[in-house]
Amino acid sequence: MPPSVRYHCPCLSNSPFPPPPHLASSSYSFHPLHELFFCEECDAVRCNRCVTVEVSSYYCPNCLFEVPSASVRAEKNRCARNCFLCPNCRNTLSVVPSDPPDSGDGRLAVPVSSLNEPPFFLYCNHCRWDSAEVGITFEKPTGLAAQLQKFEDSAPDSLEFERLKEHFEPFIRASSLSSSTNLSHPAAHPSSAAHSHHAHSTSITAAASAALAREIPGVSKYNPLSRSTSSRSTTGKDRSVNKDEMTEYRSRLEISKASVSGSGGGETDVEFMRHLEDIGQVATLEQRWVNSWATPLQTRELKPLRIPLHSKRSKRCPACTHILIKPEQKAQSVRYKIKLVAANYLPAITVALPHAQRLMTELAKKSLGKSTSAAAADDDKSSLSDMHAGKTYPFHLALSNPLYDPITVRLSVQRMHVSTAPSTKESGSPEKARRPPFAVSLPTSSFSVAAFAEAWEYEDDEDMFGADDSEDLPGRGGRETDAKGKVRTVGVLEKRANVTLVGGEVVIGKEARGNVKFNMLVSYTYRSDDPSPEGNEADEPSKSPSKAGPEVKTFAFYTVVDLGQIIPREEPKADSEL
Amino acid sequence: MEPPIYYSKAEFIETDTGNKVSRRATIAGPQNIILGGKTIISTGAIIRGDLRRTGPGHAVVISLGRYCLVGEGCVMRPPYKTYRGNFNYYPMKIGDHVHIGANSVVEAAQIGNHVEIGKNCVIGKFTIIKDCAKIADNTIIPPNTVVPALSLFAGNPGRFVEDLPESTQEMVEAQTKQYYTRFQPLER
Repeated sequence: MPPSVRYHCPCLSNSPFPPPPHLASSSYSFHPLHELFFCEECDAVRCNRCVTVEVSSYYCPNCLFEVPSASVRAEKNRCARNCFLCPNCRNTLSVVPSDPPDSGDGRLAVPVSSLNEPPFFLYCNHCRWDSAEVGITFEKPTGLAAQLQKFEDSAPDSLEFERLKEHFEPFIRASSLSSSTNLSHPAAHPSSAAHSHHAHSTSITAAASAALAREIPGVSKYNPLSRSTSSRSTTGKDRSVNKDEMTEYRSRLEISKASVSGSGGGETDVEFMRHLEDIGQVATLEQRWVNSWATPLQTRELKPLRIPLHSKRSKRCPACTHILIKPEQKAQSVRYKIKLVAANYLPAITVALPHAQRLMTELAKKSLGKSTSAAAADDDKSSLSDMHAGKTYPFHLALSNPLYDPITVRLSVQRMHVSTAPSTKESGSPEKARRPPFAVSLPTSSFSVAAFAEAWEYEDDEDMFGADDSEDLPGRGGRETDAKGKVRTVGVLEKRANVTLVGGEVVIGKEARGNVKFNMLVSYTYRSDDPSPEGNEADEPSKSPSKAGPEVKTFAFYTVVDLGQIIPREEPKADSEL
Repeated sequence: MEPPIYYSKAEFIETDTGNKVSRRATIAGPQNIILGGKTIISTGAIIRGDLRRTGPGHAVVISLGRYCLVGEGCVMRPPYKTYRGNFNYYPMKIGDHVHIGANSVVEAAQIGNHVEIGKNCVIGKFTIIKDCAKIADNTIIPPNTVVPALSLFAGNPGRFVEDLPESTQEMVEAQTKQYYTRFQPLER
């Protein structure tokens, strides 16, 4: 695995400091930069785990039709056009006409499916399942869903579902009404507010759980009196009045008699199993569990599935509910009306190990001309980035600035960082007990990264390689240049366009194993003459956490840097202590 | 920051618009193929521009946009079908910033912009891949599949796995441009 840098989102814990990187669970707090959002209002990083999501539009992933939200519910979240999934392999089915009648000379006069002849049926291009197997054929190749509708509507599961819906309709309407009043006065109903963030979902969940409590223990065994009292004591409180008004639900079909009426189960299944010849006759769990009702046990009973709809979602900041992501209405557009992604605010950091890169380049040159075998090359690449215990390795961090103003960056390893973040001690103390078996040195002084300018986006930035060394900042250790022109030192190595390359060094202990992985605090300051440099409506300079001057803003964030694996060594060729 | 990817200068032909085409790639019917510029056709790729629609006149069979990569050993073949008794090939349209991994077979009708296709994939006939979609390595996309925008498909048959992040377009664009910059000749 190549060395990586991931960014911290503090949403999982109350502490602003990230978990120690050697814990496996810490990976949940760190994300690649391109998956993060940035809320200008809160001046904070947000991730997919913490944003609130709402659906902005629905579409069918196959025909790409945008389904109006009104009909989404009526169609049960599935495409109501000609889109079907193969029940066998989940591939999209296509409509094919029947073959023309055999001309009798042993071969087909015209290739298969070339003439439009009814009856039509659904055919899977992948597993060759076809709907004629289960007795579904169509008179015309259009409006298949409508043609199938009458079969679907008469199926016992949809009838039962309709009945359930009808049964709960008055209750849901009443509770959504009451919840909307709850929402407007959240303080007046502390019990419902404590229940969940969302009063609306609470009422529906309560309805569902009440229904479950009633129906699951058995259709007729439970005493209705004890049930109503128990539901009142557990979930009731302010809505118990509503619940008592509900009549008891009676299912259309007695479940104990289901096997008799042909939905399988019991003796019928045993009989089927007894005459089983081939394992393929039994539907796999994967094929069965999408069905809500009695799932067909036999493969030949599987019916084509209507394709579930997909949605485009807008995302909001969990704290201030400002919109972070708002997609364009058109289903297949990849543009956004609002898109506040962290990559436009935080400097992008990439990490590289020069020793691995050098070897890789040499390997690439060597293997050139020979027949390239991709597998072998990949193997070599992964071993190249390994580091041996007891050795010292330099690494390069490249920071690129997305802002239109130059920034000044200061890097520090988390546990060494005490001055600007005093409460690091709390995360520092467990670190002491289990110190990582390596030591990382980073440039201690701050360095600048030039502003992002569109001009540098020109495709061939190869010409821009002229490094600007005049502004060399004092790093630790002297500069020594090896044969390839790379600088082996800790400090600023190179500046070009909006990228600054800094060098760090890691000293790996003799007994070390595992990964070289450390938390790094990146704090950057940017000076701006323009009060809203990002040019967006929500930017307010006064909101920034710490202000050194009227036009200077500071932002700090944590990252985890993973340099790769340490190869444990029996006899260390050590050139360092620790 | 990534190290360059070297190729031998003798092997590749560079066009005025910056396309780099390997001499060891099989380009059939080049008059029917359009390359948008800065597109790389790797060693051993096979592009069947000769499989054109029947009928008179000039026909574009395969068009590729800018910053595309056709990986080593890829096969690009226009889709065909028999419609109303007539066998015919249909054109293949590929957008900008499309990378196709090594040893994949592509018979798609349409591939949008910023699409990544992994190694060893089979993209079935008349597949439509929308913008910013991604096909994982070793995926088999059956014929006539539609891959919606910003979705990751994987498996056999290829199925929807997850939605891709909102910044996929920028990511892929940067990546494909960087790949072209890294793809450097080496004199020998």
